[in-house]
Amino acid sequence: MSRPVTKKPAAKGEYIETDSGNKVSRRSAITGTANITLGGRTVIMADVVLRGDLHSTRPTASSSGKEGTPTSISIGKCTVISTGSVLKPPCRMSRGVPNFYPMKIGDNVFIGPNCVISAIAISSHVHIGANVTIHAFAVIKENVKILPNTVVPSAMVIAPGSVVGGRPAQIVGEVGEGWGVSGGGAGNGLGVGGGGEEKWVEGGDLRELVRSIK
Amino acid sequence: MAQAFPYTYYACNCFDSNTSGKRAAAVLQEAADEDEGTFDPRSPRANYQLYPLEHLLYCEDCQQIRCPRCQIEETLNWYCPSCLFEVPSSVVKSDGNRCNRSCFSCPLCTSPMQTFSLDPTGESGPPFILECQYCRWSTVEIGIEFEKGQGISAQLARIGNGGKPLPSHKERDKERERRKELEARKRDGRELFSPSTETTHTDKDEGPPSHDDLFASLSAFYKSQVESQTSASPFSSHDINFSSPSAYSRIMNLYSTSGPKKKQRPKPTAMREAASALEGLTLHDPSADTAAIERLKRDGWASTISPAQKRAQPNPSVRFTSDLRPLATLLCTKRSKRCRSCRQILTKPEAKITSTRYKIKLLALNHIPRLSIRALASDTPVPGSSRPPAKVFDYNALKPGIPTHFLFHMSNPLFDPIKVTLATPSTTPGKVQSRVTILCPQFDVGANTDIWDDALNMPAKRGSLLSDQAPQIEAGKIWDRGRNWTSVAVEIVPGFLDESARVEAETPGRGGPLEEDDDVLEIPVFVRIEYEADTGADERGLVDSKGGKGEKEKREEAFWTVVGVGRIKGS
Repeated sequence: MSRPVTKKPAAKGEYIETDSGNKVSRRSAITGTANITLGGRTVIMADVVLRGDLHSTRPTASSSGKEGTPTSISIGKCTVISTGSVLKPPCRMSRGVPNFYPMKIGDNVFIGPNCVISAIAISSHVHIGANVTIHAFAVIKENVKILPNTVVPSAMVIAPGSVVGGRPAQIVGEVGEGWGVSGGGAGNGLGVGGGGEEKWVEGGDLRELVRSIK
Repeated sequence: MAQAFPYTYYACNCFDSNTSGKRAAAVLQEAADEDEGTFDPRSPRANYQLYPLEHLLYCEDCQQIRCPRCQIEETLNWYCPSCLFEVPSSVVKSDGNRCNRSCFSCPLCTSPMQTFSLDPTGESGPPFILECQYCRWSTVEIGIEFEKGQGISAQLARIGNGGKPLPSHKERDKERERRKELEARKRDGRELFSPSTETTHTDKDEGPPSHDDLFASLSAFYKSQVESQTSASPFSSHDINFSSPSAYSRIMNLYSTSGPKKKQRPKPTAMREAASALEGLTLHDPSADTAAIERLKRDGWASTISPAQKRAQPNPSVRFTSDLRPLATLLCTKRSKRCRSCRQILTKPEAKITSTRYKIKLLALNHIPRLSIRALASDTPVPGSSRPPAKVFDYNALKPGIPTHFLFHMSNPLFDPIKVTLATPSTTPGKVQSRVTILCPQFDVGANTDIWDDALNMPAKRGSLLSDQAPQIEAGKIWDRGRNWTSVAVEIVPGFLDESARVEAETPGRGGPLEEDDDVLEIPVFVRIEYEADTGADERGLVDSKGGKGEKEKREEAFWTVVGVGRIKGS
């Protein structure tokens, strides 16, 4: 909307924007940047911790043939990771040595504030509420909504299209067929928008949300 | 209510079936009443009518919203939500709706269980156990260990709690036959010699038969009964599985044309009920009760299970934690949905389990304009951001008695411009009465044209089409409008919570002490839209090929919505 914003953010800007449109907060704590891939137009907000340094220590030469930097966290397009969330690749002890496994997050995933995520894979169009804990090796399929304050136990597989909640997480419902469909291409998500600017819905295309974050 | 404010629910006008018993006049009268009256979001029936727009479908043939109550579901396939493998429906029929791979959930906390090796050498060899990583319950607690890490469900079916082997179906049947024979021989030979002490001794040794044993013998008994009945009847056919005497006589009555002759037929002998333990009869054993009480005294409540845990168990009679069994994961289904009145397919997902796409999907979202509400005096907050927006409107603390402005925002998914009429009762129903005024109840919303039209025509303005000057709150004027949306201002005066006692005195039955969620401000809004659509919209391709555009047809749509504004703050 065209009303004036009362307080301008700092002149330097909260976010560093990369060539592919990723917005990374200056106040986020990212370790092992070489092991993290961002798909583009992805937002990492303030106080987010990405543990890219926890990568697989196993020699990978036999599988891929080339000696490269191992990936520890890969995040898709238009994914938003809100403030205070921690992404830590899952770890398993094998022969007395901790071994980390790469974590994969799909496109248009929204991760709410203050989450702790150790899932092995999160598919696209997933909406994760605030204060959610996802234990190691959980698999979250497409079009899933995780209610706030949920604890997803380790190795849980959440089938596509489910709504989960509780401690430990249980399937409490299904997202409707209209999940992620914004009304007529410009519908307003959850009734929040009024001026035609907030054009995103939970589980839908988050491009507009990413654009609105400055 | 879990839903965050503000929200909008849409009422589906599918008729409640409880009117079917009344006379037509009464039904008409009631329908008229319903037309006249306003929708009450607090009536118990509203619970079954209100849905978020995302959950509603739209039948193009009936031109009506379809809610989960006026849809028919058809199961496409079954799959395990844990391993995401499809289970053929024949297997579901024979083995039940549980996964027979190695998917188990914890009987205590429902989280998935994983296989671990207890090998002391550190190598992953036997023995294996199932362990819950959430509450650390494991099969060790019920004395079960597995020899192999694969095929857990097959192994589990053969091990009872405490590690004793369970007989398989075949073994059970064989054992029952053996004992039956033994018993028959015993009965025959009673005159010759006294009952052998050995057999009674072994019977006592085994204790009461398990739930599975009883079920197996009971089902075998009934099967034999049914067989004995059907073999006697000349009409026995293989496709009547449950041909009990009553079913048999019912079928005979159906096909016999002469009524009086019926008595001449011999009445089929009634089916016998189970009469011995071998036939599945259980006699209540008081010693089991005393044992349970003794055990409660000894171990306390901690050794018992909760009703939810008990309900989840396949054996309904378990009481103690030592009787728990890991739960095989329940299967899920993929379903297609049809309109209940015209049977048109509304949604049909792709059959593949891993695919999340739909072949057919008729959403209400694409046919019904979306109504949303937002406080005027607020910037839209960026979710999850640490930086709070300049002004945050607290929807959970509406100030009673103070006029507050809100915006109704209507966005149009249709490809034709629509005329909208909004109507709302001046005071909200319920114990707390709030006054609502829509400043511009009639307005137009533009068509949902190509999104690029916007950008090409007005590259400078992405949103508003009006905002040359700041919008003003003025009766009869819209607040703002865009390509396919219009917003109008609403003035709401939230009611006083403590006033309900006074209301009670004036109009008995409306007030009274406040109950839970009575402070939630919900406004019923009646939405009526009018638009002109191409008559052959469904066969658009056909019309186009003829070269002529179909003539316009006036269409109308009307429905109730309920807008949840917020919670009124108590004084």
